[in-house]
Amino acid sequence: MTTGAIIFAQNNGAINYVKLAKFSAKQIQKHLRIPVSLVTDKNSVGEDLSIFDSVIYVDDYKHTQHRKFHDGTLASVQAEWKNFTRSQIYDLTPYDRTLVIDSDYIINSSVLLPALENDHLFQIYKNSFDLAGWRNTDSFNRLNQYSIPFYWATTFIFEKHKTTETFFMLVSYIKENWQYYRILYSIDSTAFRNDFAFSIAIHIMNDSDDGDFATSLPGNMSYVTDRDLLVSATDNKMQFLIEKEGRYGEYTLAKTNGLDIHVMNKTSLLRYIEGGTGV
Amino acid sequence: MSKGFVVFAQNTEATDYIKQAYALALSIKNTQSNVTNISVITNDIVPEQYCNVFDQIIPIPWGDLSKNPLWKIENRWKVYHASPYDETIVLDTDMLFLEDISNWWDYCSTSDLKFCSKIKNFKGEIVTRDLHHRKAFINNGLSNPYVALMYFKKSDLAHDFYKVLEFVCKNWEYCYKKYAPNNFQNWLSIDLASAIAIDIMGTEEQVIDPTLPFEFVHMKPAIQNIIPVPINWQDILSINYQQNKLFIANQKQRYLFHYVKKDFLTDDIIKILEDCANGRS
Repeated sequence: MTTGAIIFAQNNGAINYVKLAKFSAKQIQKHLRIPVSLVTDKNSVGEDLSIFDSVIYVDDYKHTQHRKFHDGTLASVQAEWKNFTRSQIYDLTPYDRTLVIDSDYIINSSVLLPALENDHLFQIYKNSFDLAGWRNTDSFNRLNQYSIPFYWATTFIFEKHKTTETFFMLVSYIKENWQYYRILYSIDSTAFRNDFAFSIAIHIMNDSDDGDFATSLPGNMSYVTDRDLLVSATDNKMQFLIEKEGRYGEYTLAKTNGLDIHVMNKTSLLRYIEGGTGV
Repeated sequence: MSKGFVVFAQNTEATDYIKQAYALALSIKNTQSNVTNISVITNDIVPEQYCNVFDQIIPIPWGDLSKNPLWKIENRWKVYHASPYDETIVLDTDMLFLEDISNWWDYCSTSDLKFCSKIKNFKGEIVTRDLHHRKAFINNGLSNPYVALMYFKKSDLAHDFYKVLEFVCKNWEYCYKKYAPNNFQNWLSIDLASAIAIDIMGTEEQVIDPTLPFEFVHMKPAIQNIIPVPINWQDILSINYQQNKLFIANQKQRYLFHYVKKDFLTDDIIKILEDCANGRS
């Protein structure tokens, strides 16, 4: 039984996801001690990729979509959002048991180690924790107030098995028929989002009920949004500027120690990685 | 020991409760493996095509006490005396069974009186503090019974309870002032009257049981955790009902569904229930 991690990273002109992936891979190797492979496309080469166990190339998807990427409360950029390849993970991964994480998910602890060693077929985060504490998190509890529970496709662990193969086929089917499924589940946004597709697929795998297809990963998934800024990341300690409630453009300093965290402000994370601070 | 479900059904100008009882009876026939008896207590004429699903059609004992033409509940305390069964589960008419609940009977077999105190909304979220409908319960420290789903055995305890409930129903203004003065409710509700009766008897720990498996999906719009609160939940949530499986906004509903809004029970749903009962689905 081989175990490893996969990071998806497809650059989009505004954000160098491969650089993020290299940083994230170092953290995985340090805290979880497993090999890390990269899934990328031919537009994203040019970096030293020797840190990766293997590099897997995928073709561009037939559709493109764009979204706004914030960089704190005051800046943003519109860029392509390449998120269509996640559902191919079952065929792409060289491992029997795979940890899949976004390039902006930073591992600072060994909390996921037991999840890599247990025998659950599919583990994912359902519960999350916003470091800001004051923001409305309803959209991360359910797809919307009428709809089904929300799961984070940011981080998950799966084992190769007929059941998980079916699940990823289902995610692909939902992706291919996204406009149908988004209407069926009352999702306003037309953009395809893996969190939503995974949530719908899990719901179907659970027979539209509280089934047990998906096991929760240890703890809650902590995150800062792209309205927040990363200041620094040293060893397993991170510092953030978190947007203040009701005070536009102002921030509060927050520190974490040994906390795995989803840093949604990729631009700020990249600034820090490229040498400097993320501010 | 005989077992069965019992419902009160008194038609009003606005609502055909007999039709609702018929649909509920069909859902019982379609889902229950052990207890399928259901009797209806009514003074209304039951259409011939509905009669065969009911075990017994029982006239309301001691005349019709209901004064409110829209909401007839003054007779509800009579259910103990009218039930033909040794063990009875009392239901509201505007409910449908979606699954076999035979184990509920097993659980109750060692008890005399039990009230459901756990409801969920269509999302499966447990409604813990219903501040829309239950202020009078919460602010007067009363228990939280849902009489839409309750069990009794012909026994001294249940008999005593219904005697007290009769007193509360017949003197509800006096009892409300004495036992539920905060957030005073100026109409008789059988849930509040039952909570007061439980309080008077001091039997809360016996009859409100947190481990009781009773639960139902309660579709009162205000507890669906939707903003703004819809007048009719059917206006904004999709309904998919087939072969005893009910999906509301793509979410599977469990056990017992209290649809509340009478428009939910369309002819199409009745047809599905009839087809299923006749083995045509």
